[in-house]
Amino acid sequence: MRMKTPQRLLAIVGGAFLLGTGHSLVSGNVTLKEAATKSGVEGVKGDPNRGIPADNIPEDSPEEVDTPDEQPSAVIEDDQPESSPPTQPTAAFTGNGVDLDAPVPEGTLTLRESHILWEEGAYFIDARHDYEYEAGHIQYSAWLPAQLFDTDSEAAFAVMDSIPKDGTIVLYCVGGECDASKNTAAMLEQFGYTDLRIMGAGYEDWVNAGFPTATGADEGVSP
Amino acid sequence: MSKGKLWVESILLQTPLRVGLGGLFIFAAYNKLNGIQSFAYAIKGFQVVDADRYGHLIIMAAHMMPWAEMIAGVLLILGLWTRAAAAAVWLMLAGFIAALIHVIMDDLISADCSCFGDMNLICDATVGWCQVVRNLVLLIPASYLVWRQGGFLALDRVYRDKSMDDAPEWTVDNGGEQG
Repeated sequence: MRMKTPQRLLAIVGGAFLLGTGHSLVSGNVTLKEAATKSGVEGVKGDPNRGIPADNIPEDSPEEVDTPDEQPSAVIEDDQPESSPPTQPTAAFTGNGVDLDAPVPEGTLTLRESHILWEEGAYFIDARHDYEYEAGHIQYSAWLPAQLFDTDSEAAFAVMDSIPKDGTIVLYCVGGECDASKNTAAMLEQFGYTDLRIMGAGYEDWVNAGFPTATGADEGVSP
Repeated sequence: MSKGKLWVESILLQTPLRVGLGGLFIFAAYNKLNGIQSFAYAIKGFQVVDADRYGHLIIMAAHMMPWAEMIAGVLLILGLWTRAAAAAVWLMLAGFIAALIHVIMDDLISADCSCFGDMNLICDATVGWCQVVRNLVLLIPASYLVWRQGGFLALDRVYRDKSMDDAPEWTVDNGGEQG
């Protein structure tokens, strides 16, 4: 029997379909489901050791603040580490002229809300690429992209071990329509985390607002 | 073209291109198969189809595409069904290019290529023109192999008597002259 190129092409597609179907039956746990995330800052269990009280953040102020130089652990900790950001004067957190209440996708946090949660000790998770995290990330944020569950589940679990199941978690990526934070949120939801929030603003917005950042590779992943 | 020149072409062009392109696709497939969940998210991130309505298609594509790459890559390296395998690679590359341009043209979409799973080759992970150029470059050997097939060192040559339907005339032992 002689097969022509189109038939062979179809055979390749058919083979891929059969193998792919078999693979999906074996693995079977791939999902596109996004986590049910909350918006707003109500009901957050605050960390009084983390900077200034949230309600002290002013709406507008001309003053600027320098980003702290400390390079703390990548994992958010309830306990105030020695290299924690210095408590800033209330007027310091102005956003450097950045609109902290700029519109964000529905159901996500504005920059102001995100910063309030950061001040109150919420757990922050960076879902961007490793090189982006190393170049700079929100201070005390942990690096946990969704693909880490595939590539290095031990590291992913190490991050999760440092976060209680009922902890308030804020996930961020580059902002806009980036899906990375939603993907990580979906994974965390599968592991039983209940209070997941997406920062609608991106990391660059956080930097432009002059909020605390850190650099370095994945330091302090272990709890 | 003399048989000697065809051998030279086979050794210097067809075989290296087959093995190189095939190896690259096997590498890409292997990385994707190691992170199907990530790849599914990457496809979703391209926003080519509505994930809410057609999520099952995305999941199916996430499982099928790596295997299509794997099969095409293996066939290319073996030199078996070379034209069909190269055509499959060509079509996949064309599809990738179209999807990449779709993402680049829409400023609201920020997606990861996930072309080689979680690894990056030449370009960053975030979709940009670099990936388009890379895939356009890969189209060149794919097009060449569709045109010239696998050469003397391909299994197609071994089985030519059984599968001469679409082979060019010169692959028949006709004294080395291309027909």
